[in-house]
Amino acid sequence: MAFSNGYIFGFAGAICVVCSLAVSGVSLSLRDKQELNRTRDEQGSILGALGLPDDGSVLDGPTIDKLWKERVEQRFIKPDGTPADASLDQDGDGDLDADDVSKAVDAARKADTKPAVLSVYVRLDGKREEAYAIPLSGNGLWGPLGGYLALDAQGREVTGSTFFAPKETPGLGAEIQEPAFEDQWKGKKLVKGGKSAPVRVVKGQAANLCPDDIDYCVDGVSGATITSRGVDEMVARAVGWYDAYLTKIRKGA
Amino acid sequence: MSSPATEIQQERAPLFGKKERAALLDPLSDDNPITVQVLGICSALAVTIQMNRALVMAAAVIAVVCTSNVVISLIRNLIPPSIRIIVQLSVIASLVIVVDQILQAFMYDVAKQLSVFVGLIITNCIIMGRAEAFAMANPPWQSFLDGLGNGLGYGIILVAVAVFRELLGSGSLMGFKVIPQAVYDLGYVNNGLMVLAPGAFILLGLMIWAQRTWTGYAEEA
Repeated sequence: MAFSNGYIFGFAGAICVVCSLAVSGVSLSLRDKQELNRTRDEQGSILGALGLPDDGSVLDGPTIDKLWKERVEQRFIKPDGTPADASLDQDGDGDLDADDVSKAVDAARKADTKPAVLSVYVRLDGKREEAYAIPLSGNGLWGPLGGYLALDAQGREVTGSTFFAPKETPGLGAEIQEPAFEDQWKGKKLVKGGKSAPVRVVKGQAANLCPDDIDYCVDGVSGATITSRGVDEMVARAVGWYDAYLTKIRKGA
Repeated sequence: MSSPATEIQQERAPLFGKKERAALLDPLSDDNPITVQVLGICSALAVTIQMNRALVMAAAVIAVVCTSNVVISLIRNLIPPSIRIIVQLSVIASLVIVVDQILQAFMYDVAKQLSVFVGLIITNCIIMGRAEAFAMANPPWQSFLDGLGNGLGYGIILVAVAVFRELLGSGSLMGFKVIPQAVYDLGYVNNGLMVLAPGAFILLGLMIWAQRTWTGYAEEA
């Protein structure tokens, strides 16, 4: 079978068109659903850190939407703890949103300073503020780490945590995403002698290594020293960044 | 014009003839893409830490290899030989992206766990291999069976490796704890080697050995 050059070019062109139409068609028609999944995934992990749902119901799509609307408020603050306004817009779209915060945080981590704008998630019961979740970001062994640390209404004690380690080794570094690691954080203290003190991640058994300070220590993951150190650093950094805000909460302002 | 009787016969005869059965069943054991042809090893190492990941990966590969075989087979006489590989690759790549998008829309949690490995199905030699070696020369139905057989042959090994790795490495199956806490209390510990790539290598090597002893297959020197 001999094919002319014209046919070959025509065939190649036709394949390109058909394939790209198929791919872009599927991608377009599923985009909304994928976006929704991503948003709900993020919201679900914040809710999880904040201890929601507190009535034992399953965290499925509609529950996430409902709880997010009724029980959580995202606030933007300056590093000195005061509310941020639209003048701190980082990406030039004129308002404050999650993109501005991630931009400010990236810049601050590069320059080793405090970000211009921070976000905090508040768990509400009507008007009463029940808990606060602060976002964490850092680096593990293979890639970025993230998470949320939830604090009680007085800003003194950890009430929950969620960690993500998308690139870490499963079974080792990725164990920080497991309840066994996350649950250790509950009840740890963030204030020592009137000042903010981060919870440290120690290598080995926290009970043996910091017997006097067990309220400020959690066990690292065996075989994942660098990931554990990454968690330690990102918690310490976030506690530093939110220090002014947490101090205000503690004073009841 | 043929009579209805012969038409039925013509349709029925090749539906599950000898060749069809060979196309479907050979890759399950005698010609297994992983243990005999040693293809698709990369993903066999990467996604076999947990059984549910292995199952979804196997399903994704089966879907892609079946459809790509059928599509390639349908257009096999139209594809100019000089650009056939790139045509196969375009078809496979498109199908893989579609599967990835569908997973992200409907099975988000699993898609997140499998991350890049769904995309890497494109480079899975089994799929290109079946398109080039089988679908280019055979009609769609047989190509479909060949794809199904190879996909299943790949999936069986994937799941078998995953069962051992999850059981020995994490003490669970499909994410459920199967080794009771009492055993851990007695001093049993999970084998950390099993969750790392070398554990998969060792298991896979043992499986290849066992399977080749079973079927008497030997590499030609």
